[in-house]
Amino acid sequence: MAIRKGLGIGSMYYGIGYGFSRADIGSAEIEMAEDGTTTVYSGACDMGQGVMTVVTQVAAEELGIEPDQIRVVAADTGSTPDAGPTSGSRATFVQGVAVQNAAAELREQILDMASRMLECPKENLAVRRGQVCEIESGHEMVSVGKVAHQLHFHGRRAAAWGWHDNTTADVDPETSQGDAYATYGWATQLAEVEVDTETGRVRLTKLVSATDAGKAINPVAVEGQIEGGATMGLGYGLYEQHILEGGIPRTNSLAFYLVPTAMDVPDIECEIVEVPDPRGPFGAKGVAEPATIPTTPAILNAIHDAIGIRITETPITPERVFFAIQEARIRGEFEED
Amino acid sequence: MKQRYVLRVNGRDLEAEAGAHESLLDVLRERLRLTGSKKGCNEAECGSCTVLLDGRPVVSCLVLVPDAADRDVVTIEALAEEGVPHPIQRQMVEQGGVQCGYCTPGMIMSAYALLRDNPDPTDEEIRFAISGNICRCTGYGKIVKAVRAAALEMKEQSGNGGAAS
Amino acid sequence: MSEDPSTETAEETQAPYHWIGKNVTKPDALEKALGATEYVGDMVVPGMLHGKILWADTPHAVIKRIETEEAARVPGVHAVLTSKDVPGSNRFGLAVPDQCALAEEKVRSVGDAVALVAAEDEEAAEEAASKIKVHIEHLRPILTYADALDPDAPKIHEGGNVFQHTTVRKGDLDKGVRESAVIVENAYHTHRMDHVPMEPEAGLAYVDPSGVLNILVGTQYPYRDRRQIAPALGLPMNKVRVIQAPIGGGFGRKDDITAEIHVGLLALKTRRPVRLVYTREESLVANTKRHPMAMNFRTGASADGRLTFLDGDIYGDTGAGVSLGAYVIKKAGIHATGPYDVPNIRVDTYTLYTNNLTSGAMRGFGVMQAAVAHESQMDQLAHKLGMSPLEFRLKNCLKPGLASSTGQLMNEGCGIEATLQRIKDYMSARELRFNRPEAASSDS
Repeated sequence: MAIRKGLGIGSMYYGIGYGFSRADIGSAEIEMAEDGTTTVYSGACDMGQGVMTVVTQVAAEELGIEPDQIRVVAADTGSTPDAGPTSGSRATFVQGVAVQNAAAELREQILDMASRMLECPKENLAVRRGQVCEIESGHEMVSVGKVAHQLHFHGRRAAAWGWHDNTTADVDPETSQGDAYATYGWATQLAEVEVDTETGRVRLTKLVSATDAGKAINPVAVEGQIEGGATMGLGYGLYEQHILEGGIPRTNSLAFYLVPTAMDVPDIECEIVEVPDPRGPFGAKGVAEPATIPTTPAILNAIHDAIGIRITETPITPERVFFAIQEARIRGEFEED
Repeated sequence: MKQRYVLRVNGRDLEAEAGAHESLLDVLRERLRLTGSKKGCNEAECGSCTVLLDGRPVVSCLVLVPDAADRDVVTIEALAEEGVPHPIQRQMVEQGGVQCGYCTPGMIMSAYALLRDNPDPTDEEIRFAISGNICRCTGYGKIVKAVRAAALEMKEQSGNGGAAS
Repeated sequence: MSEDPSTETAEETQAPYHWIGKNVTKPDALEKALGATEYVGDMVVPGMLHGKILWADTPHAVIKRIETEEAARVPGVHAVLTSKDVPGSNRFGLAVPDQCALAEEKVRSVGDAVALVAAEDEEAAEEAASKIKVHIEHLRPILTYADALDPDAPKIHEGGNVFQHTTVRKGDLDKGVRESAVIVENAYHTHRMDHVPMEPEAGLAYVDPSGVLNILVGTQYPYRDRRQIAPALGLPMNKVRVIQAPIGGGFGRKDDITAEIHVGLLALKTRRPVRLVYTREESLVANTKRHPMAMNFRTGASADGRLTFLDGDIYGDTGAGVSLGAYVIKKAGIHATGPYDVPNIRVDTYTLYTNNLTSGAMRGFGVMQAAVAHESQMDQLAHKLGMSPLEFRLKNCLKPGLASSTGQLMNEGCGIEATLQRIKDYMSARELRFNRPEAASSDS
């Protein structure tokens, strides 16, 4: 039997956001219409991973209204404030707080106005499910929309601005000592591989991804990041290589540049770890990159566990493994079956 | 040299002026404005342009328009009936099978063809059926889950006398 | 730090949240599943022209002359543009403006754009692009780390081929070496990777009646796009509007400029809406990639299994433009230890210009490469010590109160131990064991 199985782990930490003095700012505006429906003007680009959904949930939670009352207008220099890029696993961590700040500010305005309208101390009031309620009794006093309308009659906009600065100081130019990032993401993955010692082919047969989300604001979206990240990590490890010869790409087609298909990816098991981070919205932090990084290292270590050979060059193509096995054989170091 | 072709798209006969060298995908997108089928590679590698041709899933970037003339073409635009999304479409949304969405229409067409021929597929069969559709965001797991859930939903519908496709 | 992090998690989940932790459906998902979402390549506006780029076909050359007359005569062609037609600085770049929107005196990689065409349809645009004649004189291309480090090699940019050198220094390296019972030394090589966003890069631009240049683009950051587009095209920022269109995958590629400046220039010059959509081949050849890196790492551990030092060099090939490469490679250096407590460190990183494709941001941003090296080192040290790779990591991982490679004190948001513990629990629940070393059987 030429197939050998092995297990390997890979861990990583990843500075969330820009780090070392690069401006890392989120900002958002939130506005409530007189029927209580609310628009969040958020400059963060959603690429399908779900930052719009995160923004919606954060705003709904903080403001005390329902997600379906919220519309997000996103990423347009003509209509939304600058939220920084969606990159560096920063959108949830940085823009989430900016939106939370905006929603909290609007909620306070609503409660101030409601307190005047109801002649009731503000500290006795809260917003729940779109209604201003008396905290003690839970009694619904007035809808947020009515309060928003009153704000308009009092010369105020039922709108608020939220901002969050995640910028850190630069590290020392000589030693790189310093607080490089506001926080870090953490992840460990376990990979199981099958190595065909006759052909050098490696198959990933199992992947368990333990990724620290701080707090999973939307667990399905977090799983989407974990599974997609590991798949991109698998592509990096085993299949994808942009080959240049004399500076000219030879892999200029998806016929030559191989992206993993559904047949190449095992069922990825998501272990969402939640170690709340006080700097993120409701303890949350980004997972996009932490979920991607450990896969190739875990595969490399699993290959060593399977065949006792250390591969030090990526991607781990069948040719590379095949020749590594032959070289080990020549040196008398390969453990034959 | 352009010619007039009649294409039976989503149950309707549509006429399009096109050159004989043009692909079905380009005609669908540029002439008929059916842009649900995406152009991810135009070289039959990514599956984003998958449509049904006489009931079989094909990558429409590789079909020349004369070869599609007078044959049945079904695109993603036809799957929802009277505004009601097809179970695969609904489950893709619910299970988190949609991220950037670019591969989604082609993926759904491959899954649609699978479930029509095999209403109760194994995960392995689902993975095989969508293996010509590259997804860069999801890692496929939630797509497989969505197809499985849709199969179940469709089976229940047909069991209740509903119209499963 | 002896607290079991899972206890915190349980408390946290009990927090009385209404919407945090719920699987609220993504607002854009259904439209995408219906095939109704219009990405830039799906959009059509009245009077729209089609753009096409002529790319360099050689990695390093001096441009002597560009002939565009024949191309301009192709029926349906509205504009054939070279760098001379750019009204602004023609420059862009995320760390430094070292890239030309259209190549000027030199070609620095095959990903450089040389000329642009706008025409009534894609076929005419393509035909015109093929009729542009570029007269060049080849230069010796710089393609390897060694070439880039050679001070006598031709300079790709005026400042030389070593764009940046960073250093991480902590503790006393000699002391770390002395305290080591085991030392592992290896050279690692990682490769160039493409993002392959399923939607190839695309942009649609038009000048509106108020004179504002509107650009629809699948971007990751419209504001920074505007910061780059306006000076490159000589426009005030309030005359440029960048709108994020539905984006078919980015992964860092679309963090940088893709089609924005080119399609904007074509719209400015033709005063017609212009759509520019890359082919897959163009997407693979142009714009940024993941940095290939060469990493030489020497790592030690004491007899009782504590990491003692890391001594490393990281060379990153950023190609013809820095893009975000300087930050990517600096980040690789800062993260070279991995999530572990390493008291003594020397790491040097080098950001190198070459005539290969420009590398920039990609999901993992330098740590992807660094982790290949540090995690391979960790397993080899564990193996030499006869320790389980899991226990070795648990013993050395950062915890609240310990400091990272940059001396940053870890606090309550430090989750590495919890992720390792989760994998350990997973393995013991299923009685999974590493084959080697034998000592690994003590895991569970």
